[in-house]
Amino acid sequence: MTWAVFRRALVYVLLSIAAFVSVFPFFWMIIGATNTSADIIRGKTSIGGALLTNAATFFTQVDAPRIFFNSAFIAIVGTVLTLIISSLAGYGFEMFRSRFRERIFALLLLLLSIPFAAMMVPLFVMFSQAKLVNTYVAVIAPTVASIFIIFYFRQATKAFPRELRDAARIDGLSEWQIFLYVYLPVMRSTYAAATIIVFMANWNNYLWPLIVLQTADNKTITLILSALTSAYTPDYGMLLFGTVLATLPTLVIFFVLQRRFVEGMLGAVK
Amino acid sequence: MAQARLERKEQINGWAFVAPALVLLGLFMIYPIVWSLWMSFQVGKGMNLSFGGFANIIRLTKDPVFLRALGNTFTFFIVQVPIMIVLALLFAVALNDATLRFRGLFRTAIFVPCVTSLIAYSTVFKSMFATDGIINQTLMALHLISGPISWFGDPFWAKVAIIIAITWRWTGYNMIFYLAALQNIDRSIYEAARIDGVPAWARFRYLTIPMLKPVILFTTVVSTIGTLQLFDEVYNFTAGTGGPSDSTVTLSLYIYNLTFKFMPSFGYSATVSWVIVLVVAVLSFLQFLVARDRRRA
Amino acid sequence: MNRIVSRHNRLLGVALAGISLVSVAAASAGEISVWVWDKAFNGDTMREAGEIYTKDHPDTTFNVDDTASQDDIRAKLQTQLLAGSTEGLPDIVLIQDDVAQKYLQSFPGAFEPLSDSVDMSVFAPYKVAAATFDGKSYSIPFDSGVTGLFYRSDYLEEAGFTPEDLENITWDRLIEIGQTIKEKTGHQLLDLDLNDTGLIRMMMQSAGEWYFNEDGSLNITDNAALKKALETYAKFYQADLVKPVSGWAEYTGAFTSGEVAMVPVGVWITATIKANADQSGKWGVAPIPRMDLEGSVNASNQGGSSWYLLSSSDNKEEAIDFFKTVWAGNEDFYQDILIKRGAVGSLLSAREGEAYKATDEFFGGQPVWQNFSTWLGQIPSVDYGTFTAEVDAAVASQLPGIIQGGDIDAALQAVSDQAQQQMQ
Repeated sequence: MTWAVFRRALVYVLLSIAAFVSVFPFFWMIIGATNTSADIIRGKTSIGGALLTNAATFFTQVDAPRIFFNSAFIAIVGTVLTLIISSLAGYGFEMFRSRFRERIFALLLLLLSIPFAAMMVPLFVMFSQAKLVNTYVAVIAPTVASIFIIFYFRQATKAFPRELRDAARIDGLSEWQIFLYVYLPVMRSTYAAATIIVFMANWNNYLWPLIVLQTADNKTITLILSALTSAYTPDYGMLLFGTVLATLPTLVIFFVLQRRFVEGMLGAVK
Repeated sequence: MAQARLERKEQINGWAFVAPALVLLGLFMIYPIVWSLWMSFQVGKGMNLSFGGFANIIRLTKDPVFLRALGNTFTFFIVQVPIMIVLALLFAVALNDATLRFRGLFRTAIFVPCVTSLIAYSTVFKSMFATDGIINQTLMALHLISGPISWFGDPFWAKVAIIIAITWRWTGYNMIFYLAALQNIDRSIYEAARIDGVPAWARFRYLTIPMLKPVILFTTVVSTIGTLQLFDEVYNFTAGTGGPSDSTVTLSLYIYNLTFKFMPSFGYSATVSWVIVLVVAVLSFLQFLVARDRRRA
Repeated sequence: MNRIVSRHNRLLGVALAGISLVSVAAASAGEISVWVWDKAFNGDTMREAGEIYTKDHPDTTFNVDDTASQDDIRAKLQTQLLAGSTEGLPDIVLIQDDVAQKYLQSFPGAFEPLSDSVDMSVFAPYKVAAATFDGKSYSIPFDSGVTGLFYRSDYLEEAGFTPEDLENITWDRLIEIGQTIKEKTGHQLLDLDLNDTGLIRMMMQSAGEWYFNEDGSLNITDNAALKKALETYAKFYQADLVKPVSGWAEYTGAFTSGEVAMVPVGVWITATIKANADQSGKWGVAPIPRMDLEGSVNASNQGGSSWYLLSSSDNKEEAIDFFKTVWAGNEDFYQDILIKRGAVGSLLSAREGEAYKATDEFFGGQPVWQNFSTWLGQIPSVDYGTFTAEVDAAVASQLPGIIQGGDIDAALQAVSDQAQQQMQ
């Protein structure tokens, strides 16, 4: 009994330390957003009174509605398409096995390891010939079939009970209906996790949007913030205000979707 | 007869599900990859390229920066991936306990690092690792060190700082995969085991780990690839130099520099990229092999 | 379940609508697009130049894009030039002088030669030389990177020195002064980043040397100026006068917060220093020290950039006319950008203007701009060559060993070997 209490306490202590360490830089960022650049450089770690000034500077320097729209559009459309295309493929690779497809899958895993920088120039040539440079399509299209997410869904599908599929087949459901009405609801927490991961990757995507988006009004918040950090005299207060804003959408997505995990914990399939 | 028809139906369905993804991947990966493979046999600068056979591969073996980058990348991989995977697994199992209080709070807190934008993260970490930053202040207050560590002025500590930063950023991320997988596990198995008096560690070892194996394998492969492609942290923390003394230069950073910073040397940077592919191929193969062996045992 | 499906359909519809809305934003005729990397400095300067031109030529407008960092601009430029694709490129791009030759030589035909249409003799010769390839000059020089030794006059005084004590000195003498300052005030002399070779390059150029010989071959192992510069660099550390920093924020933070006493740097830092208005009157600028070496002068260069016109531009005639009338002809414009942003231009005649003669209370009433103009005229011209980035990386990789007392000849040999490898 005492051992159980001790162990429980230990878990709390370790989790608290981990949580503190994880969140600390985030708080630092929020505190920074309320301070002037000079105070931040001096290492001030208490809440300051410059929040409104920082906000004002940020909104005059950055066309926020437009830039956040770009980011949101790219991230949302990209996430939805990625989830559809890649979960279908992950399901397909796992549920319908064939030797040939196994080989393709192994090849895909290898392709996953090619650094993006190495493919950027030929990819740019393709989009430039298709007259798609500086469009959302050019940013989204290469990310939609994500080997990584296909891989993820395939691995998660291994835990999907096959009896469910067999039962559905006996009930006369087509393979697509099985995917839609049986697989999808059961795999909710997998989809929730994938949504967070894909949205975050799209929202923070840097190198490819940098190259393919040309005009200032098409850029994403990640690109704009990066440029602001490298000014000769960066305004850190304004910058941190911007980063807080830029972090909010991914946080919100996480907060909303994490309920899915909790639901799953109760074991209830609504 | 019926068997054959069923077989064919399976085949058609199998292709139908993977077709959209394969078409897109073919479109956006095959050409760039063939191009980069062809490039790795080209030598020259900028637009003046000519066929060089294996010249680039020979150049690799004599290039001190490449060898340093390879060594650093391996150091990061060997030290960082196991630490992160174990931490993530422990957090996930702890947080999966339905009787734990503040679960949502802990889960969110530990996940927060990976949603923080790269810009925020690097700005914050650079200032925390500054000579009189909070990390040195804390360590000195605890009397763990006598004077400030020059984190990015010392080849050893620079590596340590990078490892701390990546672990901070990606542990919660991997944890989410484990949590999601734990949710998909039927809880009645645990209940049965508990009623049978199986102790917690044994439930973890003989129930949790085997059932998480696909996801553990997944995160290990992905983390391996991620580490071998490590770029963001070193680029942002060292102003793109991979310093001090090339102690944090990685293969990906070197490829970036060869392509964009130095006199463009495409053929050579493509060759370095294919080294990563080769290394990942070997490592993934080993990891699959290990996973398969365990399954047989 | 149908709900989810229909939601997906709706989103798909939105996606497709969005795709058709956002077509290629082609630059409208008569609009000159420019890539710059710092809003407050080169961005606003170019905007002002554009406004001056548009006033007289209403058909020509300017679109100055400052939403990418300098590294990002290099990556974008290089990707597109390599891809042979010009549709995403601007008309004019700002490029730092020490990397210009790389672009000119690796992408022949990508940039428009300007020396045929613009008289280059009106600009500082060393700036023109940096952009000259095959007898033609390809840039309109913008800001000068003339260096100065910015110092805290209050610390200097507290240590018993006068500003005159910093005139016409060597780096060795500065180390002695630094030791006294540290004893008396407790402040380190300067802050250095082991990943940054700026100070070493500054010292080397003050002796008229660079990493390369005239034929482009490496000049490392027998480069007395480079050797001396590395020795001096090590001495700062051995005398414990350095605050080690990493990255731009920490680097600028150390001197803007008053932690270190001095910073030898290009004139473009002025705005960053003056951003701390509460330090007004506590700063001064001296010429940078010279090396104890024949031919070394008390002047050098760090950074500085120029405007390049891309051959793919649809507005070449307007752009060249713009360069001629504003950048090569309007002296008042240069006074204005100096006052507003501390931008020291490269138009020689502009230095006779009023703004350049003014004194600055922030710097204790010193005629700083006149001083910088004088030093600018003394900067030894060097050929930056095409492999500066590669050699820089090789030099930086030796710095941690050098400051710990490592053998400098061996380090030079290692730099030479590595650079040789990279230049293949």
